[in-house]
Amino acid sequence: MTKVLLVFIMFSVFSQPAPALSEREADLPMPLKCTYNGPKGDAATKGASYTEETVDGCARFRVAQGVPAGKDTEEGALRDPFADRDKPGADKPLDTIADPLEPINRAFFVFNDKLYFWVLKPVAKGYGAIVPQGARVALRNFFYNLAFPVRFVNCLLQGKGYGACDEMGRFFTNTFIGAAGFIDVATLTGNFGKYDEDLGQTFGSHGAGPGFYINWPIFGPSSLRDTVGTVGDAFLDPISILIDPTEIIIAVNALDLVNGTSLRIGDYEDLKKAALDPYISVRDAYYQNRKSKIKE
Amino acid sequence: MDVIRFYRKIFFFVLILAVASPVWAGVPTEKIRETTEKILSIVTDPDLKGAEKEGERRRLIREAVDERFDWKEMSQRALARHWRKLNDVQKQEFITLFGELLERTYLNRVEDYSGEQVTYMNEVIEGEYALVEVKILTTKGTEIPVNYKLRKKGGDWRVYDIAIEGVSLVNNYRVQFNDIITKSSYEELVKKLQEKVAEK
Repeated sequence: MTKVLLVFIMFSVFSQPAPALSEREADLPMPLKCTYNGPKGDAATKGASYTEETVDGCARFRVAQGVPAGKDTEEGALRDPFADRDKPGADKPLDTIADPLEPINRAFFVFNDKLYFWVLKPVAKGYGAIVPQGARVALRNFFYNLAFPVRFVNCLLQGKGYGACDEMGRFFTNTFIGAAGFIDVATLTGNFGKYDEDLGQTFGSHGAGPGFYINWPIFGPSSLRDTVGTVGDAFLDPISILIDPTEIIIAVNALDLVNGTSLRIGDYEDLKKAALDPYISVRDAYYQNRKSKIKE
Repeated sequence: MDVIRFYRKIFFFVLILAVASPVWAGVPTEKIRETTEKILSIVTDPDLKGAEKEGERRRLIREAVDERFDWKEMSQRALARHWRKLNDVQKQEFITLFGELLERTYLNRVEDYSGEQVTYMNEVIEGEYALVEVKILTTKGTEIPVNYKLRKKGGDWRVYDIAIEGVSLVNNYRVQFNDIITKSSYEELVKKLQEKVAEK
């Protein structure tokens, strides 16, 4: 009941102007080995404008008639046929996430940064020194496998029957053949696809925008939409359903976090090294990654 | 009879498709594969191992990267509307700085190579633009999707953007650059770039 209510509230709050159907179809992922039937030769190479349309779920490009060619050479308006909605022509507003809470978010960014370098990283490093990598990978697989209900239900909520089937297949394969999920047999054999769906993506797939960026203390990057999604997903999380005292739930989640971090040491450091403004870099990476996951 | 022949034809066709599928890769994929293999051969070369060979190793990798990556187009895309306000000297200075930053980031990543496997997944060509989809399987068992975006220039395919797990490098820098320029100035951005490149 709570969940239904949650979904309802979500939609009434976030129903941003949904894109026209044709536009949304154009956002569909391009299936593998989709053949390109669009412009060839002059029209395409001169950087003429194009529109996308979908036939049989395959995105195809079509050259718009009567659009002056050569726009491409104008600095700053470079065409990128593989970017979303990156249509040629005049300057379009920067595609980014709204961030009205920036001062607070930045404060929590500093807090999380310190938390990582002073607490989480040393703990994860110590843990990694004791527990061999193979065991840590196995534990990560176990936690991932356990969260199957979240992915399964969200596949169904997004109308991805094939995804739900594959996730079901993965779950049973890994649970029964892969020693309770410690061995990711499904990936090794390559029989099933991976569908890492969550409620935030489900909202997104039904047209909800991210709202605005929230950088939570401890939990890190999220958005209004994805925060509601994460809370909703917790109702399907076996750890919080099956385990009783809250202290143990927290302890198990902490183990998951430390274990996962021990396998990711260096990623955040690399990002910081490459960024001019790490806060903006993380925010944008979160936004882009979520957007691409929703598109999938 | 006709039905049997028809089915046989379909069967044959399917068979051909199944056999032919590994060789669908076009020129852009070949270019990415070529550069990747060149870099991997440098990183894994026992003669180039060790800290004392770092300079030599980095020079060779830099050469391989430079011929595949189009720093100018990357700079232009990352600066977007701010690009056209620059004069030629500023543009050149920016290309050099941004190229150095990207190269350094890339070199650090490559130096950590520990047997990751690269699988070539798909390729889409649209006129002079191409998208090459690659999957990297890490030694820790995670799959990282990487998309290379290339553009054909002077008969050669060159990379103008890389998207890792759906995060485009150029877009990521574009948002950062725009934020710095609009909050302070272009000069401030150059200063920050210089500091970043000088950082060890």
